[in-house]
Amino acid sequence: MYGTAEVVALVGVGILLTALFLQSESFLDPQIQGIALQSLLLAALLGWLAWSEQNLDLAFLAGLTVVIRAVAIPYVLRHQIRAFRWRSREIHAASRVTGHALAAVAVAVIAWFVFQETLSSIFPQPGAALPFVLLVQGLLMLATRSNTLVQVIGYLEEENAIVYAGALFASAFPLFVEIVVFLDVLGVVLVGVILSIQRGVMGSPEAAALEELAG
Amino acid sequence: MTDPPDSFWLFLLLVAPAATAVLSLIPVPGVSRTVSRAGSLFTLASALALLGGQASGRWGSYLGLDSLSDVFLVMVSSIYVTSAWYSEGYLRGVHRPFLTSQVYYALLSAFAFSMVATLVVSDLGLMWIGIEATTVASALLVVLERKPTSVEAAWRYTLIASAGLTIALFALLLIYATTGTLDAFALAATHPAVSLPIEMAVALALVGYGTKVGLFPMHTWLPDAHSEAPSPVSAMFSGVLLPTALYAFLRVYAILPTPAPAVLTDLLIVFGLTTALVGAFLLQRQRSFKRLLAYSSMEVMGIALVGVALGGVALYGALLLLFAHAFAKSAAFYCAGNVLRASGTNRIDEVRDLQHSMPRTGGAWVVSAFGVTGAPPFGTFLGELLIVVGAIAAGWFWVALVLILAILVAFLGVNFQIGRMVFGGGAKTPVERGRSTEDGATLAFVNVTIALAIGVVSIPYLSEAIRAAAAVLGGSSP
Repeated sequence: MYGTAEVVALVGVGILLTALFLQSESFLDPQIQGIALQSLLLAALLGWLAWSEQNLDLAFLAGLTVVIRAVAIPYVLRHQIRAFRWRSREIHAASRVTGHALAAVAVAVIAWFVFQETLSSIFPQPGAALPFVLLVQGLLMLATRSNTLVQVIGYLEEENAIVYAGALFASAFPLFVEIVVFLDVLGVVLVGVILSIQRGVMGSPEAAALEELAG
Repeated sequence: MTDPPDSFWLFLLLVAPAATAVLSLIPVPGVSRTVSRAGSLFTLASALALLGGQASGRWGSYLGLDSLSDVFLVMVSSIYVTSAWYSEGYLRGVHRPFLTSQVYYALLSAFAFSMVATLVVSDLGLMWIGIEATTVASALLVVLERKPTSVEAAWRYTLIASAGLTIALFALLLIYATTGTLDAFALAATHPAVSLPIEMAVALALVGYGTKVGLFPMHTWLPDAHSEAPSPVSAMFSGVLLPTALYAFLRVYAILPTPAPAVLTDLLIVFGLTTALVGAFLLQRQRSFKRLLAYSSMEVMGIALVGVALGGVALYGALLLLFAHAFAKSAAFYCAGNVLRASGTNRIDEVRDLQHSMPRTGGAWVVSAFGVTGAPPFGTFLGELLIVVGAIAAGWFWVALVLILAILVAFLGVNFQIGRMVFGGGAKTPVERGRSTEDGATLAFVNVTIALAIGVVSIPYLSEAIRAAAAVLGGSSP
């Protein structure tokens, strides 16, 4: 029988690997599958913690993570790819895959050391640095990619990081469930509404360098 | 304290914009406009009543007011009123709008409600939800005019602001894990011991909420969203959304003892000065007059942040600056909206001689440009002066010098460009003349007069409230 520490560490490593995979991939379908897998791993961790701590809130969050971030939003993203008649690959990122992968590993290592140096005394739980690393990976994805679908994946990764952090070291955080529900609503608005408008008006998910927005 | 009259006004303050958002959806011509005007007036009346009664205290576990929230509530509800009234004329000029007028007014009121809700809660988690709700409510308003640039701006706004706010949420997790509470009032009263996690939380909150405030280098959404949103929404963005996001940070900052740890004070000063300088210099090269105003807002937010960091009289100056700027900047955006509707362009080079083609709008625009750039005797001037004086008094001479540089550069840039549009000859784009295109000029004059009055006279209740608000954060008044 595994203890909570082993499960947290094992699933945490899996989540970190999915984050690095997302950074090094330029095809959209595998990226969508990657974020769905990451959400499923997180949901499994939440489910384990909910069972071991008898915490109903964490159980609810596990269900929400599966429904919204592992199933619903990935489904809509795949639908968006078909609607764009897209060949399922980022234009600009394709030639920079190696650079993205190296940057992701470097940033992960730096984030890990920053956490260990500043916060590990307060949060000594095994794997406590992983949510922080995941948050930074999500930010890196948002900052380095211009494809809006990939940016949505970066946003989902950030949300996974927040849920992960809340579950690990602030599970009694008041209103945490409400906040996560709210983040999911925003994710749905992002994906469902703005991407649809963008498809109708601009016809491409690559963020354009519009002359009027320069400066 | 839960004074019954205050409870009534607090209840009305929350219900009025929320009910307005719902009732605006009634699909009967003219109802949404009338309802939103009435609802915004009720909201302002409630905020003024709370300010007049110096409302302060707790209502249950999650609601709380003090002088700081009272001042910000008046600011937000005032600009909500003028934007609701200005919207009718502006919407008439939008061809093929993406939203119906009912949905537009509903979202405008929902946007106002999310800001009001942020200001009346005492829990940092709920405050975070309020700030995130402003993004949800306002993102669709940006795409009203159905242009590719609007969609791109809305996208950048939603994504960058949300990314920033997840960092702010991480900061709240750290605060909760360290202190066991997110009650902003209790934390400000007890000041938890300064530790590395608390310092890191405040720094992360600065980056997180700072994204929404428009601090450099997280500001990239700001000029896009402000320039692409319809002008009444731009007025709310620049005038009150940025200060509301700053308010959320101030509540986190207030958990620190006074004076705050030097490392954090230095961090605020660096972020503030860099933002002010970048805003002031970038506005020089703008070709769109709405982007010009957006970068001016960025410069003002940077200066205000320096005032917060310096504390004392500079903190009072920062609050005065934010308050006066809200009125002056909204006036400037209403004028920009009039010009955009009449000329069909937002290019500075294509608009000339407004003094003859749009005399009321041109006049209001020149005066409001002076207001936003801190010309004496506007309230913005007094606020900026107090921040510079505060810097000198605290021995931060180089900070004072950089502030003066940013203020002068922004003053020259904004007034030169708007002066060219109003007084310069040789219009390249025909301007549609007529009374209807000058609809918002009166509102602009009203708002800029308030910005002027703040610097010239002591407005009953308001002046005392701003002094008390500065005291809440450990500042002092002159």
